[in-house]
Amino acid sequence: MLQKRVIVCLDVRDGRVVKGVSFQGLRDVGDPVELAERYQDEGADEIVFLDISASAEGRGTLLDVVRRTAERLFIPLTVGGGIGGIEDIEAALRSGADKVSINTAAVKHPELLTQASQRFGAQAIVASIDARLERRQVEVAMRADASAQQAAAPDDGRTPSLPWFRVFTHGGATATELDAIAWAEQCATLGAGEILITSIDQDGRRDGYDLELTGRIVEAVKVPVIASGGAGRAQHLVDAFLLAGADAALAAGMFHDGTTTVREVKRVLAAAGIPVRLDLPEIPA
Amino acid sequence: MIVGLVDYGVGNLHSLVKALELGGARVRVETNPRLALAADALVLPGVGAFGPAATRLAAAASELRDALRAGFPALGICLGMQLLFEGSEESPGEGLGIFPGQVRRLRTRRVPHMGWNWVSARPDPLFAHRPLLSAYYANSYIAVPEEPGDVVATSDYDGVSFPAAVRRARTWGVQFHPEKSGLAGLDVIRAFLAQVRR
Repeated sequence: MLQKRVIVCLDVRDGRVVKGVSFQGLRDVGDPVELAERYQDEGADEIVFLDISASAEGRGTLLDVVRRTAERLFIPLTVGGGIGGIEDIEAALRSGADKVSINTAAVKHPELLTQASQRFGAQAIVASIDARLERRQVEVAMRADASAQQAAAPDDGRTPSLPWFRVFTHGGATATELDAIAWAEQCATLGAGEILITSIDQDGRRDGYDLELTGRIVEAVKVPVIASGGAGRAQHLVDAFLLAGADAALAAGMFHDGTTTVREVKRVLAAAGIPVRLDLPEIPA
Repeated sequence: MIVGLVDYGVGNLHSLVKALELGGARVRVETNPRLALAADALVLPGVGAFGPAATRLAAAASELRDALRAGFPALGICLGMQLLFEGSEESPGEGLGIFPGQVRRLRTRRVPHMGWNWVSARPDPLFAHRPLLSAYYANSYIAVPEEPGDVVATSDYDGVSFPAAVRRARTWGVQFHPEKSGLAGLDVIRAFLAQVRR
């Protein structure tokens, strides 16, 4: 039976792992190679490096980090952040990444997903989607429609509206007109081998994944789905797997600040009856 | 000991090279598969698509086939294992045909089959160092061997049982990625290298 994956995400800036603290800037957390290896030893099933460098120099540094990490990491490594085209994908894979995650560039050039998956295989291409719950106004003519019946009552005289998940790009800064569920379906059709869905609303809040968003994407696509944004404790991963049906769950802060460990989370998952990899690595001799 | 590792021209070979080196091998990465035979063992890695990789092997296919059938030790990983079969639904092109059978697309609800999966193995030198309980997979295709005796390990995904590992004399194929399966995966590579030394 295929096991559910616990993925640890490291935000890397100019070659160092960083963490945002209450919107007051970034705190240095450590060396990405060492941290990746530590999480591997703790039982992480995969590592993600998310490059948040602002400069080209910072990006170049990341490839060197990937190269050094690949020598010591014997679990899959995904690299994301600032992947703009085929050349960036090839550079990341050649440096030792197993997969790349593509976000803004896929929205700008959806054909990139197809080209990349044909060239490198779907298993190497992760479509990363950042989405936020919003409401959109409904045409009055549509109100006879069954779905519009659920629209909020216009008791304040405004046009009725329906909730939807809007896709954002550029690290959550730029709104698009894309619906996250439809976009996820399209990404899978275009060739993405996995969908990484991050709830902007939940990200950093530590009170659980957006199960509605995750669950609807799990239903819509036929590729594996990674839940992201909001993990604060082990129970949140249990919910992502049991309630939303996610194939993998990504977490960052709760591991970096020592709230819990990957090993402990996996114990909780196993106790909840979720198949996870428990033959954890032993300390090498 | 020198391992000839065939580079089909796409993807990441770093971890596999490092894993083989940790097992005590020197690795020679060769884009020309014929040159990879000038070593003590052959490794066919697991990244890329069947068609282009089969094309890369085509010029040396008969030499590779003869060498493997004569007992030259070989390990095929993921796509590399699939290339040891006769052909694939993924794309036209001939495999080496060391194992009779075809490679078929997974017909499961979610494809690719991605992540760690339990492995059920029968005794084989490949698992001599320690039992492999779980291994990392990233595949959309599976091998369907004609000869059940070739299968030394299986995994199950969404109701489909498929070969996790096959063996015929000194040729092994593994559908999972031992270089991505943690320390237990590294032990599979060590076990293969131990067989090469015999």
